Amino acid sequence: MPVDLDNSSTASGEASVSSSGNQSQPPKPTAKKKRSLPGMPDPDAEVIALSPKTLMATNRFVCEICNKGFQRDQNLQLHRRGHNLPWKLRQRSSKEVKKRVYVCPEQSCVHHDPTRALGDLTGIKKHFCRKHGEKKWKCEKCSKKYAVQSDWKAHSKICGTREYKCDCGTLFSRRDSFITHRAFCDALAEESARAQTQPVANPNSESDTKIQAVDSSPPTPVPVPAPAPAPAPAPAPAPAPAQAQAQAQAQAQAQAQAQAPPAPPQPQSSGVISSVLPIKSPELPENQTQIVEETPVTTGLNGSCSSTTSSSSNGSTSCSVFANLFASSTASASLQTPQTHGFSDLIRAMAARPDPPTDLARPPSTEPISLCLSTNHGSSIFGTAGQERRQYAPPPQPAMSATALLQKAAQMGAAATNASLLRGFGIVSSSSSSGQQDGLHWSQRQVEPDNASVPPGLGLGLHCDGGSGLKELMMGTPSVFGPKQTTLDFLGLGMAAGGSTNSGLSALITSIGGGLDVAAAAAASFGGGEFTGKDIGRSS
Amino acid sequence: MDITLFTPEESPFFQSTQQSNGQAAIDMHSNNQPQNSHTSTSRSSDSGVLPSASGKWASRLLKECAQAISEKDSSKIHQLLWMLNELASPYGDCDQKLASYFLQALFCKATESGQRCYKTLTSVAERSHSFDSARKLILKFQEVSPWMTFGHVASNGAILEALEGETKLHIIDISNTLCTQWPTLLEALATRNDDTPHLKLTVVVTTSTVKSVMKEVGQRMEKFARLMGVPFEFNAIMGLNHLAELTKEVLGVQEDEAIVVNCIGALRRAEVEERGAVIQMFQSLRPRVVTIVEEEADLSSSRDDFVKCFEECLRFYTLYFEMLEESFVPTSNERLMLERESSRSIVRVLACDDEKSSEEDCERRERGSQWSERLKEAFSPVGFSDDVVDDVKALLKRYKAGWALVLPQGDHDDSGIYLTWKEEPVLWASAWKP
Repeated sequence: MPVDLDNSSTASGEASVSSSGNQSQPPKPTAKKKRSLPGMPDPDAEVIALSPKTLMATNRFVCEICNKGFQRDQNLQLHRRGHNLPWKLRQRSSKEVKKRVYVCPEQSCVHHDPTRALGDLTGIKKHFCRKHGEKKWKCEKCSKKYAVQSDWKAHSKICGTREYKCDCGTLFSRRDSFITHRAFCDALAEESARAQTQPVANPNSESDTKIQAVDSSPPTPVPVPAPAPAPAPAPAPAPAPAQAQAQAQAQAQAQAQAQAPPAPPQPQSSGVISSVLPIKSPELPENQTQIVEETPVTTGLNGSCSSTTSSSSNGSTSCSVFANLFASSTASASLQTPQTHGFSDLIRAMAARPDPPTDLARPPSTEPISLCLSTNHGSSIFGTAGQERRQYAPPPQPAMSATALLQKAAQMGAAATNASLLRGFGIVSSSSSSGQQDGLHWSQRQVEPDNASVPPGLGLGLHCDGGSGLKELMMGTPSVFGPKQTTLDFLGLGMAAGGSTNSGLSALITSIGGGLDVAAAAAASFGGGEFTGKDIGRSS
Repeated sequence: MDITLFTPEESPFFQSTQQSNGQAAIDMHSNNQPQNSHTSTSRSSDSGVLPSASGKWASRLLKECAQAISEKDSSKIHQLLWMLNELASPYGDCDQKLASYFLQALFCKATESGQRCYKTLTSVAERSHSFDSARKLILKFQEVSPWMTFGHVASNGAILEALEGETKLHIIDISNTLCTQWPTLLEALATRNDDTPHLKLTVVVTTSTVKSVMKEVGQRMEKFARLMGVPFEFNAIMGLNHLAELTKEVLGVQEDEAIVVNCIGALRRAEVEERGAVIQMFQSLRPRVVTIVEEEADLSSSRDDFVKCFEECLRFYTLYFEMLEESFVPTSNERLMLERESSRSIVRVLACDDEKSSEEDCERRERGSQWSERLKEAFSPVGFSDDVVDDVKALLKRYKAGWALVLPQGDHDDSGIYLTWKEEPVLWASAWKP
């Protein structure tokens, strides 16, 4: 996993040293990629080529007292202070402010070219290690391997706790089952259908942001059954953002309304909305759910978002998720202007960028899905500049991007949660179960007459001489087989389910089975509602 | 025998059937009072005290019945069939289910109606088969049990290692697992350090039920590959009568491709006599690696000995049904569907022997060591690397207790790794190269 957001912002120890200088210049390789778009990152910067050995060296600065190693001398000096040893921190002279960029020693690497040099030492080290180093750190739980220890640490902390959520409402703690599920879930089909009708501004390279949100707040599901308008609206924290959220909310609702009918691909701007979803971030105002509840009241504000509008809104809570996004971007100004074509232009611009930032964006296909990919990084249209940076910052190291993509795709699908849930589970499964029932009945019908055509003394057909005894047996104990014709009953043996004694029971059970299935489907759709609620809960 | 299951008059009958065969039993039976079948079927066997040592009544009755069939002792056959029918239920506990499905096979065997029954069951299955139900079933199964995922993880690990650095990949997949193996492989390819390779996936469909859903599956694979950014081509080959008929041309094998042959539960579907030819055909494709996963049971060497074959089949499916019981919730529809699938297979193995008419789903499993013998004719084994073994171990940790990985013992000639369920090997995975 690439350094998750928290890693870059809140990391301790050596990481913080490197990140302290980051405020002015984005630190990560990917951030750099963005910077490099115009060409040379900074013509005045001093280009530094470090040897692989230096890059791989960890903790070169070792404390002579406790043998603790540090990556930087500065850190060692600070550490020495704790031992009451003489220490000396280099003063940052004005000379040192001269910018340095680092190239990758690997000849074949794009970052070997000084024009694609990386902006800081930690960045180049991690890049080199991740891309060209051995993945020697292995997660005990999931056996995923990392080249960078801090990546591994970050992963180990959350491995197994993280939940991958598909828009069909299913949660996964296991990455590979999530991946397999994603490939087969209807949501993927849904998404591409939508993408075809609408260029989708695709959110996040940042599933990290989202995941973080999920992880940091323990699942405190706010089970809001989707259609139930919740009571007791609580006061919004601050008027302005609340309004923005309410708007977003209303808008999202309108969207969801448009989506609610189970008819599959609809030309609608929901893609835009849903795409914003992952932006939702920890800085969200506390009472997301309350805002949701307020919705009906604030519907009137909808007017300002006329571009996406549709008819009335009622409190479908699933949409509240989208509100977060707007809320988190807190750029109320941008909310006023959302014009679909504007977005798509932007998106197009993003997609046409000569330097697609991740490996995954590489396939130049214009197919909708790929389009989603390449616009992966364009999501910040909604955001302020700061947010934009945030969006770009965490480096989608390929390993991450793939998962992030999936996650993203899952989130996207959340826009269609209601619809796809019903389609994916309710209807589908119930129909399949009924099909099964049909099959069963059919089999009974098929088989019984079939057997019935066999002469009653079928037992006699056995190559053995006990035929008469057989017949005796069958005839002699009619009461065992009940009032029905003995032969048929006996032959019913062949199909346990079709046997006379069982048939009633089995039919009953079958129908119960069917019923159960329907119940399960219902549960699933409730589950969907709940998950959405959970999402809300988490983001708050 | 569990006396609570029977009327008092019946208990002696039971003892006598165990000790002797034939006449004594039928005498006892004629004294028998008709019993209320509903009470006996609705009672679960664990409501009473089961004889702890010999355990399962179903297995005992079934074996006895199989014995009677092989001895052509018709009166005994009928008593036992009757008895089993009273006790069996496809909706009961494990014993009842086993009794139910094996009774079906025994009945078919006794009446030589196996082929017809099998056809009926197959067409029923085909009729009720849809992409949605198949998908739901397979994903659910993989979620609760490593039965399939074990082979997927082991094979994918071996494949990825064998294809390292290759840029044009061609995987020939003969596995009937609806391509559920491939999303994780696609993801792994997408995140490979070097350039993302081009992948051609050719799926050879060997079961009729899978045919109808392959189109959907293919579309999803294509979509997913696009999402992952892996250049991808999907082909499905259907309507094949014999695996050995496959050729380079049919498979669209190109000279510059790195070929992989992936067989999960595929070899056992070939006729026993045909298996050597299939392996020869694999060899002719000059694959980088061949991955084989099979269920661990010997239903081929004993196929002329009905009782032996029956016992082995019963042993295997007892494990399988118990595994299903512990993996799924009791009301699971998926479990019921898997059991029904097994019932087809059981009929196929036990009651369709002499008839050659069915060209698919031979189902005569062999043990890993037997497969190894065959494969060594054309290939040499490739051990699974530590990384792959770790991956498999990590996989098993996520499932309920009872699963374990067994590596081949040092000096033993066996190759491959075994998945065990409660100490019993149930699946075998291996990798081979020319």
